[in-house]
Amino acid sequence: MNIRTLIRTQSIVTFAGGFIYPYYLLFLKNLGNSYSKYGLAFAVFTISSAAASQLLSRYVDRHSRRLMLTGSLGLTAAMLCFPWVMSYMAVLVLQIVMGMCNAMQRMSEKALLADETEAGNRGRPIGDYHFWTTATSGGAILAAGYVIDYLTINVLFNVSALLYGISALLTWRRRMNEAS
Amino acid sequence: MRKGIVLLLLTLLSALTYSYTNHSDQDPYLLTDYSRLHPVKVKRIVKGQETEQLVQVVRDAAAQGLKVSIAGQRHSQGGHTYYKDAVVVDMTPFNRVLAIDAAARTVTVQAGATWADVQRSIQPYGLAIRTMQSQNIFTVGGSLSVNAHGRDIRNGSLIKSVLSYRLLMADGRILEVSRTSHSELFPLALGGYGLFGIILDVTLSLTDDEIYRLRVDTVSTEDYIDYFRQNVLGDPNIQMHLARVSVGPDHDLTDMYALNYEIAAETEQDPGLFRLRDNEQWVTPAKALFQLNRLSDAWKDTFWKMQLKVFQGQDGELISRNNAMRSDSDFMETQEPGWNDLLQEYFIPMDEYADFLRDFGSVLKRHEMNLLNITVRYVNKDDEAELSYATEDMFALVCLFRTPLSEQGQEKFGEGIQTVVNQVIAHGGTYYLPYAGYPTKAQLYAAYPKAETFFRLKRKYDPDELFYNGFYEQYGVN
Ligand SMILES: Cc1cc2nc3c(=O)[nH]c(=O)nc-3n(C[C@H](O)[C@H](O)[C@H](O)COP(=O)(O)OP(=O)(O)OC[C@H]3O[C@@H](n4cnc5c(N)ncnc54)[C@H](O)[C@@H]3O)c2cc1C
Repeated sequence: MNIRTLIRTQSIVTFAGGFIYPYYLLFLKNLGNSYSKYGLAFAVFTISSAAASQLLSRYVDRHSRRLMLTGSLGLTAAMLCFPWVMSYMAVLVLQIVMGMCNAMQRMSEKALLADETEAGNRGRPIGDYHFWTTATSGGAILAAGYVIDYLTINVLFNVSALLYGISALLTWRRRMNEAS
Repeated sequence: MRKGIVLLLLTLLSALTYSYTNHSDQDPYLLTDYSRLHPVKVKRIVKGQETEQLVQVVRDAAAQGLKVSIAGQRHSQGGHTYYKDAVVVDMTPFNRVLAIDAAARTVTVQAGATWADVQRSIQPYGLAIRTMQSQNIFTVGGSLSVNAHGRDIRNGSLIKSVLSYRLLMADGRILEVSRTSHSELFPLALGGYGLFGIILDVTLSLTDDEIYRLRVDTVSTEDYIDYFRQNVLGDPNIQMHLARVSVGPDHDLTDMYALNYEIAAETEQDPGLFRLRDNEQWVTPAKALFQLNRLSDAWKDTFWKMQLKVFQGQDGELISRNNAMRSDSDFMETQEPGWNDLLQEYFIPMDEYADFLRDFGSVLKRHEMNLLNITVRYVNKDDEAELSYATEDMFALVCLFRTPLSEQGQEKFGEGIQTVVNQVIAHGGTYYLPYAGYPTKAQLYAAYPKAETFFRLKRKYDPDELFYNGFYEQYGVN
């Protein structure tokens, strides 16, 4: 996988993320609910990601593409589940799963970035990488606001699922190409 | 090792947060109202969009044997806007301003619009609302259904400014209701708590937007009645009034300050003043101070002094009528799990005011109730609304209590409120019905002798009891 493909697949991932992250838990913030309860749902995600990293670190060197693929597939599944969730506990469970997928994504992305660049010569590719991934995320956040205004939040989940699915497909095709 | 400790700490903190917020009043999958009491699962929430769609919603629910509850901004606190397994009609998207007649000074507006929506549309015509709450966050439909009142002292309760409205009945018919058409319904659905049908739209009589000068006075509880009669009611220039009673231990219901809005001189009518002020200022510090007020009695005296100072600093300031009717509220919001600040409001005959406060004070102590604020307003006698709270010219005492939401805490608090209501009734007063239903059924019937007729007529117009809510279940069901 070269740096350009990496940027492409990961930009799709950050687009899907930007599309959903600022909004997908808003429904928890109902009339009168505390901000601490709302915050907890986000914290569980991050802490699960931190915990998963310690387990994943031993696979990252050899299996980064496979991890990236699994992460994308897991996020696809989570996005498809979200609209059906009917309890706060289930939200927390999904957040834990998503935190793990996030660790797979982020860790393999860093490993691949390092693999595909050489020490002393990383400034530009890293700049490119950062630019494209964050720019798409910004665009996604803007677009998503309109989507909720005119459609429903469930549309966000479905579109995100689709995008994570596409990124998984691209990663998988790359892997097959490189294996052959 | 260090990572393990950090992870453990984070997990512990998460567990702590989980248990801190693990109260039924915080369950995002249950529906409740501003009180967060009695959360239930409803069948579905339907957003009101179009008239035909609302007719269909009513017909479908009737056909399926489901109950219908009507909701505006859900700031009522006694389960008035929902019922277990009912269809809840959320009226807030049904919020268009349909017509403004500047010459006749009227506005026709859909019931889901908030007062803020109405103010925005009428202010450019130099018009203002006659009677509304002190804040503009409520829907017109929700306000009509409780027959709201506010700072204005000349225009009566909200019912007085209603010219006509359209009511969607339980059988799917839409009636044009006014003092001449379907006149029996007119005073029923106004102050009808969503029990007679869905108010679709309403035509309200308006008044001119004007510039007022704020005048701040201090007065003792004992002297308030004379002060009010002579200096407020007796001064035709004063259009709006509210007062507060000190609740801290050093000034235990003894001190008051009054805010009066008197018509400013022609020369002071600066057009810039009419612009609507939207942003609530200083929310963060005010919120922090109010939080201290909740936690310690000693702070109540400090808060009282600071609040008085702030208002005295505003003495003489000019403010438009529309802006005086959109006062701040964000700073009082609380989301604390297991606790809430709840309102109760008592209407006391003017001459009984000081005596009532004395009795009220001793009940508060005996029942260890945490009272955060009392605002006093004036309501004109209203013998039009069937469930009229103003049986004569009265003072309305809005009391804000902090209370635990736990079963045990609620039971104790409810006993206190029932004792207060006994005092209210003994002094010839009534209490406001949009708030949490602590009073007993007997107390409601004692305060509202016409309640019997009211609920009988509800069943006349809605024999299958399609329109249903927690309030009706508690007080109205045969
Ligand atoms: C912080 C605070 C301050 C307040 N200040 C004041 C005040 O100054 N003066 C005052 O009088 N009251 C005051 N209230 C009470 C308030 O006016 C009522 O609770 C009012 O009903 C709130 O409007 P809403 O849009 O939230 O109505 P909701 O609570 O949503 O509904 C109230 C009732 O109206 C019915 N209803 C709503 N829309 C319709 C419709 N379209 N057709 C038929 N029925 C309908 C509902 O079924 C329900 O029974 C205050 C309440 C709070 C929480």
